[in-house]
Amino acid sequence: MTSFDVELTVNGLARRATVEARRTLADFLREDLGLTGTHLGCEHGVCGACTVLVDGEPARSCLMLAVQARGADVRTVEGLAAGGKMNRLQEAMWDSHGFQCGFCTPGFLMQITALLADIPEPSEAEIREALSGNICRCTGYESIVNGVLRAAGATGFLE
Amino acid sequence: MQHIAERYTGASVRRSEDPRILTGSGRYVDDVRLPGMLHAAFVRSPVAHARITRIDVRAAAEAPGVTLVLTGEELERSLVPGPGIAAMFSGGAPVPAFTTLASDKVRVVGDPVVLVVAESRYLAEDACELVEVDYEELPAVMTSQAAQDPASPAIFEDLASNVLVRSPVAVFGDVDGAFARADRIVRADLRQHRHQNAPMECRGVVCSFDPESGELTVHSATQGVHIVRTTLSTALGLPPEKVRVLAGDIGGSFGLKLGAYREDVACAAASRRLGRPVRWMEDRLENLTFSGQAREESFEVEAAVTNEGEILGLRVKMTIDTGAYPGMGAMLPELVKTMIPGPYKIGALSFEWTAVVTNKAAYVAYRGPWASETWVRERMIDLIAMELGMEPLEVRLRNVATRETPPLRMVTGRSLAGVTARESLEAVAAKVDLPAFRRLQAGARGHGRYLGLGVATYIEPAPGPLEGRGGGGIMGPEQVRLRLEEDGTVTLFTSQMPHGQSHQTTFAQVAADEFGVPIEQVRVVVGDSDLVPMGFGTGGSRAAIMAGGASLHGARALKARVEEIASHLFEAGAEDVELSGGSVAVRGVPASAMSLAELARAARSPGRLPPSLAGDVEVTAAFDGGEGGWSGGSHAAVVEVDVETGQVRVERYVVAEDCGTLINPAIVEGQVRGGIAQGIGAVLLERSAYDEETGQYLSSTFMDYVLATACEIPRIEIEHLETVPLDADVNFRGVGEGGMIIAPPTLCNAIEDALSPFGVRVFEQHLPPARILELIGAIPAG
Repeated sequence: MTSFDVELTVNGLARRATVEARRTLADFLREDLGLTGTHLGCEHGVCGACTVLVDGEPARSCLMLAVQARGADVRTVEGLAAGGKMNRLQEAMWDSHGFQCGFCTPGFLMQITALLADIPEPSEAEIREALSGNICRCTGYESIVNGVLRAAGATGFLE
Repeated sequence: MQHIAERYTGASVRRSEDPRILTGSGRYVDDVRLPGMLHAAFVRSPVAHARITRIDVRAAAEAPGVTLVLTGEELERSLVPGPGIAAMFSGGAPVPAFTTLASDKVRVVGDPVVLVVAESRYLAEDACELVEVDYEELPAVMTSQAAQDPASPAIFEDLASNVLVRSPVAVFGDVDGAFARADRIVRADLRQHRHQNAPMECRGVVCSFDPESGELTVHSATQGVHIVRTTLSTALGLPPEKVRVLAGDIGGSFGLKLGAYREDVACAAASRRLGRPVRWMEDRLENLTFSGQAREESFEVEAAVTNEGEILGLRVKMTIDTGAYPGMGAMLPELVKTMIPGPYKIGALSFEWTAVVTNKAAYVAYRGPWASETWVRERMIDLIAMELGMEPLEVRLRNVATRETPPLRMVTGRSLAGVTARESLEAVAAKVDLPAFRRLQAGARGHGRYLGLGVATYIEPAPGPLEGRGGGGIMGPEQVRLRLEEDGTVTLFTSQMPHGQSHQTTFAQVAADEFGVPIEQVRVVVGDSDLVPMGFGTGGSRAAIMAGGASLHGARALKARVEEIASHLFEAGAEDVELSGGSVAVRGVPASAMSLAELARAARSPGRLPPSLAGDVEVTAAFDGGEGGWSGGSHAAVVEVDVETGQVRVERYVVAEDCGTLINPAIVEGQVRGGIAQGIGAVLLERSAYDEETGQYLSSTFMDYVLATACEIPRIEIEHLETVPLDADVNFRGVGEGGMIIAPPTLCNAIEDALSPFGVRVFEQHLPPARILELIGAIPAG
């Protein structure tokens, strides 16, 4: 099996490794870098649990090979909190009881991070559309949508 | 939503689970890394039913990185034969003989045949491709009907046929009299399709056998560590005390992750043989194809009714497709039988059932496993209303039990004490404004728009009245242990194994209130069979009332123990000692205050206390759920059906639920909404589909087994009712299963109502767009 040297930035840190061509980005993050916050829910690109940001864009790390991330700036759920303090989105999700089992959570958080970078104050319809590629089996989504609205500074959605 | 409450109980306290979950620092089984850990993969059957004529593993054994290849025959030599967990949930049905890895024949697509262990999952899967298995195919038995044909080939040779159980007819009340008195008999054949749990985290295990000590440590994604421990120690012939089962965060389960599965047993045996940790993480193909499925049941129902809409009696014949291997299927019909009258004054019931074996994935528990009783009853009520030209709500109100003293009973015997079905029906009817909706509906039809309203009601044993609850031993009372630590915090050990239910928050709320400390000072420990009390784990709606109640009583007992210790240390009467604000003091003498940390340290210091109080400040409490009671509620859905595309949109969804005293309203509402989302998915999207000729599984990806997204699930309006208290202290009820029990009939009723201008009658639960178009005659039925 051919191997490649890969250099990339993960959560702001320069990382270098030699990986097999077939190694997925998800396995590279989880197994080689020990960043197990990124989860694998289906390994065929539907559930969205493994979503990470690659150069700011959401990507399914189960469908992307580590070698394809050469030179990229990758951001995972571990990169959201700074200095041990949760960021605004994480706090909003905590306040909103956004998630239950937590398995889909990393993918949602990264997808939402990308959404809020594009649209700082999304409507509920825009949020639901943006999250339509992420599956949560626990919540029925309302608490997650509320968390996004709260993170975006909306107030009218709560009784 | 940050409530400043005098009590934590009743407030939407933020979850203690969330900081780890939101930062990516949770620990799920797939995150476990042990030194020297190996990776397992399984060669699985590509066919539904066949004899295995040859297995050649030589090339696989020689492949790079491979450390072990095990066939079923070889694996079996290291195991203790027996039915394992199958017997626990068999409900007394015969448990056929089979091996942990299929050795003589395969019985379902995905049946594990060979285990390969290698240095990485990649290498293990490479080697799987080198295993050669020859199959002599047998006809696949793919329907209940086919299974009941005596000519169908026996899936298990030691069973006389593919009929697992044919029950006697159970009769409650005067059934013949009810049917003789009836003005009409309403008949329907109703069928539920095969569902799937599909938690976002698949099954998984890391087994680590230490040859020095002879101890097996297992990291498991499970709903209960003790059942895993029992099943693995039994299968491997290890003393239970040599098996320790650990569980961390669990990525959902909904009934699937109960006990050790065949793959878990194989990995444990492989670890014992290799003396190294062996990890198996199920992939989604394995999960959807093989892990387990649920709900495939069909019913022949006759209802004896009067012209005024009174339901005098039911005759029910149930058939359940339990799949290829024993799961939970055979134990459910008796529950369905007991529960089918629901909160109604139905005076007579006859019930008989048949359980069959087919070449499908095993029937497993899935959120409200007995839920078909509600779907069937609530569907029948709407069919009855349609027949009589009555408003379905009126039929419900005419038959629903009222609260009386002594409480009414279901005809099957169980008390309906505290049931608020009538109240919840009235609440949802008021909320949707039924007359206004009917006007809106009539107007919309004039414009070619088809709106429908569905209402349904249910009760759920959570855990149900004490009388008739049954289930001793591991299904008996829930135990917790509480310990005051030397830093003044309280540790609460529970056998509950949360997988999304937030027990580490809710039990801490209850205990903190009762013990009188800030919630941050209560730590809830789960998932270690060496530490947590013996118990079933999470399931059967036990957590809120039984473990929540044990937390309350345990915290009370711990407080009494602390006060007793303090009275010794202060040389004061126990009644003169007071615990408050995290310290103990002689009443009225603030200067005497001693912190809980000091007290715990003093208790552990030799010689400070009499032997009966010295040592760890620890208590164990158990609670059986007391008079228990029912959770329940009524739901109403407003849908619009697009008769051009067959799409159903849920426009509005209203809930009036009653789970007694709320511990944490946000968590309760999360459980309700999540269950409804699964129910909506079950009706509109999800179906475990098989090719009935070949037995191939057709829904093996999330593009085929379609789960609802944020675009299909509406906002859900929830009103909480409060049950009449049945216990002096503990009136929490389980609330996890209800949404999934009641959403399918609510939605089916709404869709039938929307399509009533087409004369549509709904006899099935799965109503995707193509089926809607068939039902209205837009396309031919396929």
